[in-house]
Amino acid sequence: MKIKLLLILLIFTGLMSFVAHKDLLFFAPKKWPKPVYNFTNNSLDKTKIKLGRILFYDPILSKNNTISCANCHSPYNAFTHVDHALSHGIGDSIGIRNSPALMNLAWHKSFMWDGAVNHLDMQALSPISHLDEMGETIENVVLKLQQSNGYKRLFYKAYGDSLATGERVLKSISQFMLTLVSSNSKYDSVINMKASFSIQEKKGYTIFLKNCSSCHTEPLFTNLNFENNGLSLDKDLKDYGRIKVTQSAKDSLKFKVPTLRNIEFTYPYMHDGRFKTIGEVLNHYTDGIIHYKTLSQLLQKKIKLNADEKVDLTTFLLTLTDKSFLFNPKFGYLNFRQ
Amino acid sequence: MIAHQSLKLDSLYTLFNKDSIRITNFKFYISNFTFLKNGQIVFKEKNSFHLLDLKDTNSFKIHIKSPQNYTQIQFCIGIDSVANSAGAMGGILDPTKGMYWTWQNGYINMKLEGTSSACKTRNNEFVYHIGGYQYPFNSLQSLIFKAVNKQNVTIGIELNKFFSDVNSNTNHTMMSPSLQAVKLAEIFKTIFVIE
Ligand code: HEC
Ligand code: HEC
Repeated sequence: MKIKLLLILLIFTGLMSFVAHKDLLFFAPKKWPKPVYNFTNNSLDKTKIKLGRILFYDPILSKNNTISCANCHSPYNAFTHVDHALSHGIGDSIGIRNSPALMNLAWHKSFMWDGAVNHLDMQALSPISHLDEMGETIENVVLKLQQSNGYKRLFYKAYGDSLATGERVLKSISQFMLTLVSSNSKYDSVINMKASFSIQEKKGYTIFLKNCSSCHTEPLFTNLNFENNGLSLDKDLKDYGRIKVTQSAKDSLKFKVPTLRNIEFTYPYMHDGRFKTIGEVLNHYTDGIIHYKTLSQLLQKKIKLNADEKVDLTTFLLTLTDKSFLFNPKFGYLNFRQ
Repeated sequence: MIAHQSLKLDSLYTLFNKDSIRITNFKFYISNFTFLKNGQIVFKEKNSFHLLDLKDTNSFKIHIKSPQNYTQIQFCIGIDSVANSAGAMGGILDPTKGMYWTWQNGYINMKLEGTSSACKTRNNEFVYHIGGYQYPFNSLQSLIFKAVNKQNVTIGIELNKFFSDVNSNTNHTMMSPSLQAVKLAEIFKTIFVIE
């Protein structure tokens, strides 16, 4: 008689790949609010995300085929433009604003520093047609795509026929951008009780909660509102922010509160990229606030932080770095030959 | 329904006040067709968006399957705020139709471009791009007509009236939402006349 030991391998390939597949598309992290983006009008699909990703990296979207979205929104810097305070566009022209980092856009209700864009789908129209940026028209982009065999195949796979349209181009780019979710920083592990803060980080978190979190609100680290955080008006750029959209005096010098996630990598900071380091930003909040009429109530009272507290706060801000986001191969360059 | 169309692109017309005008581009949206009987809605066209473009005279013929009994027809000139905030759409609402602003958000409800001897601009050009969907610059206009159970309803669009009510001498360029654009939209609405 043999004594048999049974080794049973439980292999759930089907289930595993299903989970992986779901993850790849989109997931709202635990405890986060419901996304604002209406997925029913543009439900995520692998082939559409892929098409959007290829478009994002393809200079075909610009007039002289030299500039892609990624020129100003580089994947290695949480999708912002690092070298330049103000974004460079076609023919080396310089725009008036710093390109924001792109992440967790499914939760945003408006886009651009002044909220001029009301829907993620419509976002790409601005850079495509803005002269300083890509200098192209969506009509012509669509024509170029319709003439490309590579794109015909991609559109066919994604939409069941090979025709490129404005709607499909925009929705595909949205699909890719919607997948850019950053929710895996050390901070997140701590919140999900999978790690703990160092003493210094913890001190920094306390300082953050007291002084910063009313605008840079968890879990997105932005309340997505428009605020005046006391920056002096740049005499050359004369950028008054939100008032351009609402034409209401109470919105003068207000800008959309940016996220602080991955802040380590998204320098230079502010709408015009005026600060190069987190240190400079903190000095602004402690000593640089200009009391314009529209300065936020929350900053009327001076923020006092000594050198140690600034270091603590910075240490905390660095826990918002999400390596799995920054170096995610699923977000990187792709062209249609791949 | 047929909207009467005798105006031709690029032809020269002389207005009553002797201004000579030429229209080089004229496009606008109408939307939300609703049929009413004694104030009660009896029918609403689904997905009711129509782009009328003088380049394509067929676009001025709108076919609607409507119910038998109605006394009034209501529709809007322009695109409402819901559609303006819904993200990318296809068909005649596709942003490649040249009726979507880019740096500024939202649909252009009406585009009217051309030349007029009254305009003291380069080449006497005028450009009216009328749009805006957010308060206080909401330029969507709603129209309601009496029309009792007709098979064909003809609506006149009297552009001459637009030019006599708008002082194109000073008011010749409009390309973003503003209070003035809303005024122009209100004038534009008055030139729709049932025949
Ligand atoms: C020449 C640089 C440049 C290019 C190219 C560019 N962008 Fe941007 N992007 C910017 C700048 C600058 C802003 C902020 C503009 C403003 O606030 O007025 C911005 C803002 C955005 C935002 C809004 C983010 C937010 O949080 O509000 C999104 C989304 C975006 N861009 C996506 C894209 C896409 C998609 C493309 C390609 C179709 C693209 N960008 C091409 C510079 C660029
Ligand atoms: C009243 C709201 C408010 C408070 C409070 C506030 N911020 Fe900000 N913060 C903003 C706004 C608005 C901006 C963007 C301003 C601009 O570019 O014009 C900003 C920008 C930043 C940026 C630059 C981000 C980027 O990507 O460019 C950093 C970093 C920052 N804040 C950190 C902090 C810290 C740290 C605190 C607490 C000491 C704090 N903020 C408190 C509103 C606020």
